[in-house]
Amino acid sequence: MQLPLPEQLNTQTVLRYLGAAGWTPDDSMQQLLARAEASLRRAATPRGIWRQLPLDALPLENAGTDLARHLNGCDGMVLMAATLGSGVDTALRRLCLQDIALGAVADAAASVLLEQVCDQFEAEIRQQITEKGLYLTGRYSPGYGDCPLTLQKDFCLALDTVRGIGLCLTPDCLLTPRKSVTAILGTADHPVTGTKAGCATCALRTKCAYRKKGTTCATE
Amino acid sequence: MQLNDFFARKRFVFLDGAMGTQLTARGLQPGQKPELAALTMPETVTAIHRDYARAGADLLLANTFGANPHKLAGTGHSAEEVITASIACARAAAAETGALVALDIGPLGELLAPAGSLEFEDAVAQFSVMVEAGVKAGADLVFLETMTDLYELKAALLAVKEHSDLPVFASMSFESNGRTFTGCTVESFAATAVGLGADAVGINCSLGPVEILPFIQRLCRLVPGGVPVFVKANAGLPNPDGSYNLTPADFAREMMAYLPTGISMAGGCCGTTPETIRLLKQAFAGHFPAQKVPLRRSVLCTPVRCVEIDGITVVGERINPTGKKRLQQALRTGDMAYPASQAVAQAEAGADLLDVNVGLPGIDEAATLEHLVRELQSITELPLQLDSSNPEALARALRVYNGKPIVNSVNGEQKTLETILPLCKKYGAAVVGLTLDEHGIPKTVAERVVIARRITEYAERYGIPREDIYIDCLTLTASAQQDGAAQTLKALSICKKELGVRTILGVSNISFGLPCRGYLNATFLTMAMAAGLDLAIINPNTPDMMGAVRAFRVLTGQDDKSTEYIRAYADLQIQTTQTAKTAVSASTAKPEGEHHSLTDAVRRGLKTEARAAAEEALTRMEPLDLVNQVLIPALDQVGDGFEKGTIFLPQLLQSASAAQAAFDVVKAAIAASGTQGESRGRIVIATVKGDVHDIGKNIVRVILENYGYEVIDLGRDVPPEMVVETVQRTGAPLVGLSALMTTTVPSMQSTIEQLHAAGLPCKVMVGGAVLTPEYAAQIGADFYAKDAKAAADIAKQVFAE
Repeated sequence: MQLPLPEQLNTQTVLRYLGAAGWTPDDSMQQLLARAEASLRRAATPRGIWRQLPLDALPLENAGTDLARHLNGCDGMVLMAATLGSGVDTALRRLCLQDIALGAVADAAASVLLEQVCDQFEAEIRQQITEKGLYLTGRYSPGYGDCPLTLQKDFCLALDTVRGIGLCLTPDCLLTPRKSVTAILGTADHPVTGTKAGCATCALRTKCAYRKKGTTCATE
Repeated sequence: MQLNDFFARKRFVFLDGAMGTQLTARGLQPGQKPELAALTMPETVTAIHRDYARAGADLLLANTFGANPHKLAGTGHSAEEVITASIACARAAAAETGALVALDIGPLGELLAPAGSLEFEDAVAQFSVMVEAGVKAGADLVFLETMTDLYELKAALLAVKEHSDLPVFASMSFESNGRTFTGCTVESFAATAVGLGADAVGINCSLGPVEILPFIQRLCRLVPGGVPVFVKANAGLPNPDGSYNLTPADFAREMMAYLPTGISMAGGCCGTTPETIRLLKQAFAGHFPAQKVPLRRSVLCTPVRCVEIDGITVVGERINPTGKKRLQQALRTGDMAYPASQAVAQAEAGADLLDVNVGLPGIDEAATLEHLVRELQSITELPLQLDSSNPEALARALRVYNGKPIVNSVNGEQKTLETILPLCKKYGAAVVGLTLDEHGIPKTVAERVVIARRITEYAERYGIPREDIYIDCLTLTASAQQDGAAQTLKALSICKKELGVRTILGVSNISFGLPCRGYLNATFLTMAMAAGLDLAIINPNTPDMMGAVRAFRVLTGQDDKSTEYIRAYADLQIQTTQTAKTAVSASTAKPEGEHHSLTDAVRRGLKTEARAAAEEALTRMEPLDLVNQVLIPALDQVGDGFEKGTIFLPQLLQSASAAQAAFDVVKAAIAASGTQGESRGRIVIATVKGDVHDIGKNIVRVILENYGYEVIDLGRDVPPEMVVETVQRTGAPLVGLSALMTTTVPSMQSTIEQLHAAGLPCKVMVGGAVLTPEYAAQIGADFYAKDAKAAADIAKQVFAE
């Protein structure tokens, strides 16, 4: 299904992704943000797909301890996938050639737009699931913590993302179009919160800028 | 039913309905691969086919949709085995009614480069395996369906044409906005599929009959009379759980709206059943396919942009190395980012098409043209004019082009016609014919028309229709042959009127050898437009030329309500004032002040100011002094601030952008001076095989270029062999590799290993989100670069040694 773009780009998060959290952008940065956002809005064709499935519909037993902890107490799941579409990839390649500052800002802005699209999509799903009297954890994606990227294959197959929203995988399990997300949410008949992947198994644990500051990406 | 009946359009031909929905309904378990059904549950597959045949389907699509090597990997079954078994099931069911059997081919499930990492020829190879197996198993035709990527459809069509003599049907799936997931339009689909030799075209899946109807109406008008159109809609739009609502009776009722469109074949897709087909046939009984009224239009396209040549159309001429030192240098070193940025600039300036010429002595023209076409189509939506007389270069560029291009050119010489026209036909390209032959350019108008006629006749003999022929009556230099202009225009008018072809001219040649060439160019262009010119090859960055084109479009009614004209020029007054101001401040500044102003412009990230300041400074300084004494110290200042945390990445990048603008001026000056320029050293950079995330690598490229290094950027998803080959060829002492994901770091390691195995003395620096200094050392890298500034520091260290 087609998904709406958020009314406003969350520029605070864009700045954070660019390593400039808390910086008050000057005029030229404001302009870059506006140009990047306008290009992305023209190029984006956001789409999403989701399914509610029993927990044993996917081979989750070898998907790491972090995901297992996240799904603790759940007996069902919601799988979801969303993409900004391949037009955004083309636009980003073009913007990088025109002006690297614009290209980099647009790349970060596209990631934020995608996240905002996912938040809206999740809210919609959450409402439908809640109406059935069920509870949901938050989103968890392959690649978090010790959860392998290869799980993308099962997610994409179960959702038939190729036919549904034009979302494919490369042999190395990267999602294409580039600005795409898949996620799993646990469902249960009692309140569940899930657990974000901790730092212990994160690939970035030794160089993470948040950890150096004494925070985590989950709390920023 | 005979195969001929499918194309005769005398009566409706019925296609079958969904296979997947039926398999699930008859016992296929979740997790079981539908591709293997002919092996695991052959009786069920045959029974489904039989039900469709009995319901009235004249064509049964074998259950081979996903039977490609990629999807079957790991199942223990080959594509040939699955296809043979699947076609046997369909054949067994077809025998009873005399229905025909198609080898059904769907998408491979992986995006082709540049969107994904699947190479075009790999896609062709996978489809070829399927086609060969289908031919061997006795399929009556090949049915390509549910395609959403025009490039993948092209790969499949080539595979069918190159590995069989079977008729081929081509069908794509569109979303409600009239585009496929990858943005392909109905128009681009029609032009490309028919050009590549599809025998019938259609639309299937994704939407229901109501939603597909307007797209089928368009498709019926877009394809030639001899190409039948078909439709296989879903049973309405899917519910969130993947089910469909439209009953067979509703479906059949909604399909009645297709009777007057001109389709001659219909079936169903997801959610439809044998009952759907039975009721559809019942509903269509007594009706016959309506007359199709094709529009004969001249079009060129990429997937997302279909340009109809109906009035003056601008071909950007800048990607041609003749007389352009900077472009020559870029093509020789394999730096495709420079021509790509030229493409973007021309598109912004108003070009409708882009001419691409890489003819340079001592260059591998075929490899370079192919490479550049791939790069250009990854960043521009504009259709390309492939400009070469080298048949191998044209063949390779035509093969990888995504859409319908135009070839520039053939001439009246028999040998050229017989070599290049078959290529144009095979790849569905339009063609430019120059009115000259082995005897040179004819003196008289009549002789030029004779050659044009010969070219047109030859092209039609090879199956290229008139609307795809563009005659170039050749612009002669006014300073040498003053009466030439009038003759060219007269020949142009006659060709257009008598031969019914399109016309094209390279305009700028008119003014060669005379001062103020712009006046002559713009005036000749205006005269040519008035004489009926269709394609003008010009420099769209020249305001006077684009002004003439836009004005002509207003005065001939092409630009409705002057919308485009107003959009282009409404702000011009403001722009002029700004430019004037900049010029004044630049010219009045003192030398020291100027020095200061370039530093300042770079520090503050002001592009326009940096460019102007560099231009001014070059009137007093040597290019290299400007780099070493002004630009690099300014960048160092910014870089230090970034390291200390007083300057943020966006500011660093804006400074880099400004410095890049200044550098472009410097590079142009060096290229114009004819010297090689003293490069600080060559660095090869690449995002490794399998990885498509390259923003970090792009930032590193700009920063390294800012420091005066000659960067050869191989792009993303780069195979190790290509890195090795480039380092061998260029002798670069430093290589930079990037990888974003844990899954692609092994590919980085293997690239380093292959560089070492080849005995190359280069150093390797690596960077990427999941890398650490320890990890970098572990995979054999010499340096770990945590960011672009660090990469520049490493380069400094390596080249100081």
